Amino acid sequence: MPVRRVVITLLIIGPLLALLAYGFTRDSHYIVSPLLAKPATPFTLKLFDGRDLSLADLRGKAVFLNFWASWCVPCREEARELEAAWQKIKDKNMIFVGVAVQDTDQNALEFLKEFNISYPNGKDETAKIAVDYGTWGIPESFFIDPQGRITYKHVGGIRAALVVSKLEEAAKSIVSAQEGKGDYSAVK
Amino acid sequence: MKLTRARRVLALFLLLGSIVHRLDAASAPDLEDQTRAIATELRCVVCQNLSVADSPSEMAQQMRAIVREQLQAGKSPDQIKDFFVSKYGEWVLLKPRTTGFSALLWILPYVVLGLGVIAALWVIQRWVRKKQVISDRPMQPAISQQLSGEPFADEFPQPDLDDDSPKARLLRERVRLQHELADLDFDFQAGKLSESDYVTLKQEIETKAATVLQEISSLPSDAIAKPALKPAPARTRPQQATAAQFQLWKIIAGGTFLLLFGLALGVMLTKAARPRGSENDTITGDFLTGTTSGSAEVRAALDEGRQAFEKQEFPKAIEAFKKVLATEPNNPEAHSYMGFILVQAGHGDGALMAFDKALSQAPNFPMALWGKGMVLYQDKKDYAGAREIFQRLLNLVPPGEERNEVVKVLAEIPASGGTPSRPAVTEKSATVSSSSGQIGGKITIDPKLNANIDPNAALFIIARPAASGGGPPLAVKKIDRPTFPIDYTLSQDNAMMGMPFTGKINITARLDKDGNPVTRTPGDISGDYKKNPVEVGAKNVDVTLDQVAR
Repeated sequence: MPVRRVVITLLIIGPLLALLAYGFTRDSHYIVSPLLAKPATPFTLKLFDGRDLSLADLRGKAVFLNFWASWCVPCREEARELEAAWQKIKDKNMIFVGVAVQDTDQNALEFLKEFNISYPNGKDETAKIAVDYGTWGIPESFFIDPQGRITYKHVGGIRAALVVSKLEEAAKSIVSAQEGKGDYSAVK
Repeated sequence: MKLTRARRVLALFLLLGSIVHRLDAASAPDLEDQTRAIATELRCVVCQNLSVADSPSEMAQQMRAIVREQLQAGKSPDQIKDFFVSKYGEWVLLKPRTTGFSALLWILPYVVLGLGVIAALWVIQRWVRKKQVISDRPMQPAISQQLSGEPFADEFPQPDLDDDSPKARLLRERVRLQHELADLDFDFQAGKLSESDYVTLKQEIETKAATVLQEISSLPSDAIAKPALKPAPARTRPQQATAAQFQLWKIIAGGTFLLLFGLALGVMLTKAARPRGSENDTITGDFLTGTTSGSAEVRAALDEGRQAFEKQEFPKAIEAFKKVLATEPNNPEAHSYMGFILVQAGHGDGALMAFDKALSQAPNFPMALWGKGMVLYQDKKDYAGAREIFQRLLNLVPPGEERNEVVKVLAEIPASGGTPSRPAVTEKSATVSSSSGQIGGKITIDPKLNANIDPNAALFIIARPAASGGGPPLAVKKIDRPTFPIDYTLSQDNAMMGMPFTGKINITARLDKDGNPVTRTPGDISGDYKKNPVEVGAKNVDVTLDQVAR
């Protein structure tokens, strides 16, 4: 009888404790993207040099899409890494696209100049592209395969080696099991 | 006739026009209401504890604009919510859906409530039944006497266990109840039962025993005598001791469980709870989330820093804020104070970086906004930038003296003109400047120290007036993560707070590990131009970094 009571008590308290412990392991601030392995939403970006860049025109290439802002510290930290990665792969069938969000033209251009960024960059004035890609932190990066499918997402600063390896996976349409996470800071 | 028709057509046109006008007028607030209604149900992806309707963040504003646009495009509220769910998942809905897996969130509380009510009713029913059994079955005095008169000795006669007749079963039950009574007495005497529990339980057993005895007494007299009685095995002391040990085990196990539960809860809660870094800081659960925890030490260091700053004891303040930043690298207040200290030291660029760091963590941190605005206005002459910052600050500050101050500064900033004079931080921009008012050269590092280079370090090239022999620098240039050798130029663009970049100047350079020009960190590598001082306009002012700070 007492053993039965202990078992029943544990059966009631056990799941509650497990639920509590699970709650403590979760980061309530983190939003898991539902976009992995889904088709990337098409967009047209007005580049800082005045040209228009359309995602549809990049079909057939592996695309690295990076959302950034000049005021964001992790974006500054990853900027040189991204340019280094771009220099490594620019002759392959791959392309980088930078999207500045919640930024001024002047600050964004100064940022690009400061870090000698040479890949195409433009500004998402209305944050439509940012919302289409479900961004919630800056920087966030998306890898898109030649068929236009999102293969990997990274929240926070990213290193050149990871960019290159994930782009190579994207070129082969290999979808990552889950998104990656570096340091992140919230959008304004 | 024709005229009449024309008048009617005109009247209809005017009527339609007025209706359309009225519809337009009516639809405008309606659109806003609809936008607000939908935005109220969406979670702001930045603030997260606020709805898109209530959040003042820029992201929420843009999300509201998207909702409005989609409404204008004829989409239904459900379609718009589906759109956001497709981008952010169900998480974005403040009210989870009542279908699919989310339905559990709505149903489970009621299920748990129902189960709780059923459990409570069951327990109450048991209590009532127990009381009823006791009260409904008054013990006959004769039977009570017989029961109490039973010899509760160590040796009870026990009927044959193989005999399955009703009489034998009754006799076995009587013996069992006698055992129970004996155990109860033992427990009570051992102090393991309260008096009220003892009385209640004893009454219950006696009632059962009375029933059994009543049934036995109703049997034919020979039937009682006949069942073969054999001596019961002695209820030995060790058996009673085992029962006592079992009780003890229960108490120890229960106590241990409660202790562990309390410890686990205490540890988890202290890990999870921390003061918010700022009003924009929404993370409160830090356990395993990778964020650092605030502590009394940090608060004490902040207080110490504030006091030192007010007394203008800047070295002490720097130490205190460094301590804060060592524990909480993103603390916006510490970064803001560091910014003000850098302003005091004449390092406008460093101050701007410090304020930007603070604002990257807390975009609406008033102190950092004020500092950044002032640097942009007074140091950088970037009037447009300063106006934008002060305007943001104005939206945050409630009416009062501080707001009046912001309004005053905003009024002072020239409405036009003023060119942003951000530092030329890249080599490319430096080479564009005229060479007459600049000093140029190359920074190299002693090959022996190549292994000491921190890849994240920042290079500071510092110009000081030779006459002062120290003191605040005349000009500073910062280059993040330099690759050596690296060419540099220093010009009026890099000068502090409008100081003239002229005369004899000493040039030094430092590869700074923490990127903070004010602090010296062990491992910083520095070097001087060997032929200091130099005149402005000098070329080939080459510096080799060859001294490591200990």
